[in-house]
Amino acid sequence: MNSIITLTLPSDIIFTRFASQTAERAALLLLNSCNADPGNWQFIHAFELAVSEAFSNAVTNAEQLAPLQPVIINFIFEHQRLTVTVRDTNQQFSTDTPTPDIDSYPDKGYGLLLMRTVMDTVTCIREDGANILSMSKQL
Amino acid sequence: MTIIETPNGSITVVALNGALDASTAPELQKSPAINNASQTVVIDLEHVNFLDSSGLGALVGTLRKKRDMSAETLLSCMNDRIGQVFEITNAYRLFHIFDDTSAAVDYATKLIARK
Repeated sequence: MNSIITLTLPSDIIFTRFASQTAERAALLLLNSCNADPGNWQFIHAFELAVSEAFSNAVTNAEQLAPLQPVIINFIFEHQRLTVTVRDTNQQFSTDTPTPDIDSYPDKGYGLLLMRTVMDTVTCIREDGANILSMSKQL
Repeated sequence: MTIIETPNGSITVVALNGALDASTAPELQKSPAINNASQTVVIDLEHVNFLDSSGLGALVGTLRKKRDMSAETLLSCMNDRIGQVFEITNAYRLFHIFDDTSAAVDYATKLIARK
């Protein structure tokens, strides 16, 4: 199975669950197409979680800078691999954010840690004035 | 997400239903028992089907605010998906977590009685 599904969403936090549930379904679609165990919740949850983090991060940054620009999410299906890209036109996004110290009770800053842990790879590039966050995981 | 608050003696059980993410975390923070920093709560997560870092942040923020007022925040009925978020972030270290809500209420009652 080699195909791409593109989802274009307004930069609004109310669409966070729509984005994460679409990611959940995309992961299930890959499992089914590979005749893999559809009960592999870790694989499904990884995409649900990572896309929720990426989308809400893009929207939160857009609230300050580019509120009218949509967030574009691509689901790229390859052989036993699903890659998600999240494109926004906000200020440059850094993946060098330090891991929060849980003992100081931080109420934010866990997103990148979660994305990096549940995905095989997480990269961010700057292209044509946009951030393209790419997250990939192999079955 | 729906939030149902049920007083149980000096404790309030806050039962959540739905996803706790960036779009719903503000609702939790506004609910009366959560917003009241001196109110001890047991947050029942049995029907929470998804939690992300914003949801976790709302829970940690609640814990911090209540600790400042010597109140407690306990969690119950966490599923594996939520548990994974707690494991990755080490948030397990911050909370008292119980398999069932009645055990959490009993424990919270004892904690309050000691004060």
